[in-house]
Amino acid sequence: MIPQEYFLVLSGILFAIGAFGVLTRKNAIVVLMCVEIMLNAANINFVTFSVFSGGAAGQVFALFSIAIAAAEVAVGLAILLNLQKLQDTIELQDLNLLRW
Amino acid sequence: MSELYDLLQDINILTLLLLVPLIGALLTFFSGKNEKAARLLPIVFSGLTLVLASLMLLGFDFGNAGINNYQYVEQYDWVPSLGITYHLGVDGISVPMVWLTTLLCFLAILFSWDVKNRTKEYMGLMLVLEVGVLGVFMTLDFFLFYIFWEIVLIPMFFLISIWGGPRREYAAIKFFIYTHIASLVLLLAIFAMYFVAGGTSFDMIYIQEQGMDWSIGFQVMMFLALFFGFGVKMPVVPFHTWLPDAHVEAPTAGSVLLAGLLLKMGAYGLIRIAIPTLPDGARELQWLIIIVAIASILYGALASLAQKDLKKMVAFSSISHMGIVLLGFATFSAVGIAAGVFQMFAHGLITAVLFMVCGVTQHIAGTREIPKLGGLATKMPWFATFMMIGFLASLGLPGLVGFAAEMPVFFAYGFMNGAWNWLILIPIASVVITAAYYIWSMQRVLFGPLTEKIDTSHLHDVSWYEAAPLIALCALIIFFGLQPGLIYDFIRPVAEAISALVPMGV
Amino acid sequence: MTFVEYTWLIPLLPIIGLILAAAFGRKTPEDGGYFVIGSVALACAMSLLVAYEFFTGDGTPVYASQVWIDLGTINGVQYQFEIGYYVDYLTALLLIVVSILCTLIVIYSLGYMHEEGDRKRRYYVEIALFITGMLGMVVASNYLEAFIFWEMMGLCSYLLIGFWYYKPSAAKAAKKAFLTTRIGDISFMLGIIALFGSFGTLNYHQLFDPAFTESFDVNYWMLLFAMLCFFGAAVGKSAQFPLHDWLPDAMEGPTTVSALIHAATMVKAGVYLVARSFPLMVHTPEVMIVIAVIGGFTAFFAATQALNNFNIKRVLAYSTISQLGFMFLALGCGGYIIATAGADEHLLEVGNTGYMAAIFHLMNHAFFKALLFLSAGAVIHAVHTEDMRKMGGLSKKLKITSLVMLIGALAISGIPPFSGFWSKDLVLESTIAAAGVNPWFWILYIAGTVTAFLTAFYMFRLWFMTFKGEESEAAHHAHEAPASMWVPLVILAIAATITGLFLLMPDGGLPAVIYTVSPEGLAIPGETLGLGWIEKFFTAWPTYVSLAMAVFGIGVAYLAYYKKTLSMAFYTKGGNKRIYDVLQRRYYFPEFYDYVGEKGMYGLARLVDFIDRKVVDGVVNAIAAVAVGSSGRFRKAQTGMTQTYAAVVVAAVSVILVLLYIFAGVR
Repeated sequence: MIPQEYFLVLSGILFAIGAFGVLTRKNAIVVLMCVEIMLNAANINFVTFSVFSGGAAGQVFALFSIAIAAAEVAVGLAILLNLQKLQDTIELQDLNLLRW
Repeated sequence: MSELYDLLQDINILTLLLLVPLIGALLTFFSGKNEKAARLLPIVFSGLTLVLASLMLLGFDFGNAGINNYQYVEQYDWVPSLGITYHLGVDGISVPMVWLTTLLCFLAILFSWDVKNRTKEYMGLMLVLEVGVLGVFMTLDFFLFYIFWEIVLIPMFFLISIWGGPRREYAAIKFFIYTHIASLVLLLAIFAMYFVAGGTSFDMIYIQEQGMDWSIGFQVMMFLALFFGFGVKMPVVPFHTWLPDAHVEAPTAGSVLLAGLLLKMGAYGLIRIAIPTLPDGARELQWLIIIVAIASILYGALASLAQKDLKKMVAFSSISHMGIVLLGFATFSAVGIAAGVFQMFAHGLITAVLFMVCGVTQHIAGTREIPKLGGLATKMPWFATFMMIGFLASLGLPGLVGFAAEMPVFFAYGFMNGAWNWLILIPIASVVITAAYYIWSMQRVLFGPLTEKIDTSHLHDVSWYEAAPLIALCALIIFFGLQPGLIYDFIRPVAEAISALVPMGV
Repeated sequence: MTFVEYTWLIPLLPIIGLILAAAFGRKTPEDGGYFVIGSVALACAMSLLVAYEFFTGDGTPVYASQVWIDLGTINGVQYQFEIGYYVDYLTALLLIVVSILCTLIVIYSLGYMHEEGDRKRRYYVEIALFITGMLGMVVASNYLEAFIFWEMMGLCSYLLIGFWYYKPSAAKAAKKAFLTTRIGDISFMLGIIALFGSFGTLNYHQLFDPAFTESFDVNYWMLLFAMLCFFGAAVGKSAQFPLHDWLPDAMEGPTTVSALIHAATMVKAGVYLVARSFPLMVHTPEVMIVIAVIGGFTAFFAATQALNNFNIKRVLAYSTISQLGFMFLALGCGGYIIATAGADEHLLEVGNTGYMAAIFHLMNHAFFKALLFLSAGAVIHAVHTEDMRKMGGLSKKLKITSLVMLIGALAISGIPPFSGFWSKDLVLESTIAAAGVNPWFWILYIAGTVTAFLTAFYMFRLWFMTFKGEESEAAHHAHEAPASMWVPLVILAIAATITGLFLLMPDGGLPAVIYTVSPEGLAIPGETLGLGWIEKFFTAWPTYVSLAMAVFGIGVAYLAYYKKTLSMAFYTKGGNKRIYDVLQRRYYFPEFYDYVGEKGMYGLARLVDFIDRKVVDGVVNAIAAVAVGSSGRFRKAQTGMTQTYAAVVVAAVSVILVLLYIFAGVR
């Protein structure tokens, strides 16, 4: 059996990649994708702990989380679409209308 | 106890006094596009409140009028875990104030008959203000007190910032921030007293009973905080600068309520909360109260003399006259406290006339600049009469209500134990300054040849909705000037009881 | 039924007239004037009945009062103020004088104010209110009540001086009168407070009862202060130096007002107050000296300013100030003698003569000065000017007026048998008596005697300039006043002739009354000389001195202004003009007042206003500016970039995790 640590390391790496993307990328779609990656890192953790500790709760949470992620992407993409229409851009640094 | 008292107790008169204007406010807010309804509804509801308050006045039980002998008491649990209750009650100090509140609100609303801009919001806010002020004067629970205290701020803020003069935003924000800072200090003090008293009850009477045993140091600290919180509202020098600005910019009815009622809340807080709860602290800081009071009296009078704007002059005179209230309280004697409270009542009546007169000037002549006015008595005899009665009452002419308050304050201060009562010369001298600015401004505004600096062709005398409140107020000024005893009978027992709490030997 | 018990009705009656005139004045002839006349006449009848009943009674004061305000207690002293009436000899005498004069002058107003149109209603309402104040002040039962009516009079004086408010000079004069007397009023307030502090009551019947006052261990300086304050109030109201300057300006009001308020009644209130407080004041000789000195000085000082004034009413105003000074002089001298007399019966009696002289002079002066003012009013009514240079030669047209005014002038100059002679001589006699105790009082006697000369001179200067000489432009159209005006004049002229002779009435008549007006507790066995007074007067040298002075004054005026053989040019032109100028400028008092008011008070006010805006409000605005400025700096930290925030969050969480790992041992 693959040891638990492998899954956790994978999850950690995915989370780090996602976080790095969220913090550095300028395109809102990419940022959204990175958020998804971070979510999936969390899902892997849920499933891992669920399997290794013997309960089903973690896997149920993962399913919920996937569903919510889907909804979130739908909302997020809709916002971005509107942004593109109204502002002609989805570059994050250009979206500063409400600043100061 | 009279049958009327029992009847009023049975119908929960105090809650009713809060509910009626509140319902009126809601109805007015949602009265739709009907202009007529937006004017009549508030008059009906504030009139109803006035009737209820008058009944309460009549039913008052004089046989049971000492301190902590509150009448028409209602008490229900609200947040039992924190000791917050819905606790209402009135005694001899609050009854005249409650009646004054309902009277002035009714008259101010009547006076605002010609408000065209967003009438229903205007009227609704006035009624909300009435609820807040009434709550402050009737509640016996610190938490509830603070809530009502803050409720008062909000409608006044909007009244100034929406219907005010040219610098309304500056004035409204200054008013709000200034008084809000004071409120926060007040809140801190309330919490401190709450926790030191055991943290089980916000009840004023309970905390007051605990307060007797507190150490001098803590009392002094608390008294300073409360004095600041209430003093800004009164206002006292040097925390007064919000007042002239707020008054100058506020609409007339707003000024009437601001000077007539809001300032009284500060003085009421001092005499209802600060002095009875913290008698030792009050005694230790007597010198400070006296200095502040005398400074306010003199400073307000001198500043009034220099003003060119009629309304600003009246605003500064309020500072001077609230100083007299404070001077009365500072003696901690029965006479001083009673006279101070009576001065609150008297000033409420007088200042309403003064601000209404300023409003009429603005409304009819188009300016309040004294140098631009002149000879108005020729064209506006009724206006001149009202102005004269108001000014003369305010300068303390015997036979009018101001004198019946001022003179006893001077008596009380003159016979205070201590080496400082020769300072009475300053307030007495400022009586002359007060006379000077009123008489001088009257000479410049009313007398002499008709002014040519403004267009006088359209000058006309006061309209009915302006005359009616003014007549009522002037009649009351004369009536209570001749019969001040009617109000003193309410105040005296409580004043004696409060004075007995402060171990001054006075 | 006894009338005295209804004394409280007297001040209330004019109020009824006031209400009727205010309510129905528009629809009735003379705009409500008849209501006021009716009510004042009723009050007069009532006053006379009360006075008659009192004089025929046993002379003990009658009083009754009820609680007005009860303020509670301090240190066991009940702060309770009452309202009621108090009738003694002084009250009764004043009631007679005041109510008769009020009635006559209101009747006179019918003619004088006839052409004022719809302003008349205001006039009658204000006059009625004034009469209420004066009568109320006289019958008041305690000092606080007296103060209330005192101020009511001040208010009416203010309103009536400013009756023609559209004239800037009238508005200014009204302001000056109110503010100057207000200074006296706060002195009254202080006096009331100090007196209450001494005795714990303000009721006359207690304060004037020696048994009551002696039971107190009174602080002498407190009492002195209170009495000085009361005199200060009198100085303001009775226009004594240095608060005298409002009275000449007050002549801006209608002449009837000048006659009633600023000659016959209100300005007497100060004298009344001092006379009323006499039983207390005689315990403080220092105060009495102050009163005598101020009175004597004012008498002389005011008379000099009347010498070269051309306004007929202002001459009379200065003469009023001067005569009021005489009354204070007599009170001060008499009081000083009593205060220093100890138990010496004779000195007490002499001192009491001074008191009597003051009251006697008050009564006589009220009549002849009202007469003079009303005659002047008739002249002004006829020629429509107040400048005496534009009058002249009026005696042919205004026969009655010129005759009655001559009687008034003779009375004030002190020519027997007219009233002024008797009382003025009594005043001077009292200064001599005081000089017997303290030689410094000789100065006051000399001042008084010189004033007698000045008085005779300026009064006859006035009379000659107005009625004699060449017929002026204005005189051509002049005509005699209507009956409603000259009938009161004739009545007053008769009064001015005979009131002095009341002194000579035998025992049981008015002399006894005047004599026993003396304050309670100082009463001396009544010496009722009757015709013996004549002998007493004409065997004493001072009588001849003052008579000579009066005749001399009249003679100078005759030569200078009728015969024109004596030229005044020496004083009016060239290098000697300085005195003339100083007098014309009223010793620079108006300038001084203006300077104090404008540069002093108003300057201070401007300074306070400046401090308020720049310093106090400046601090407030500075705090606000600091808050706004620093927030402008700090808000830059909020970039609005979500990623920046997120980076900070990630970094912070990482740091916290590391710290937890290292220090808290979280594994």
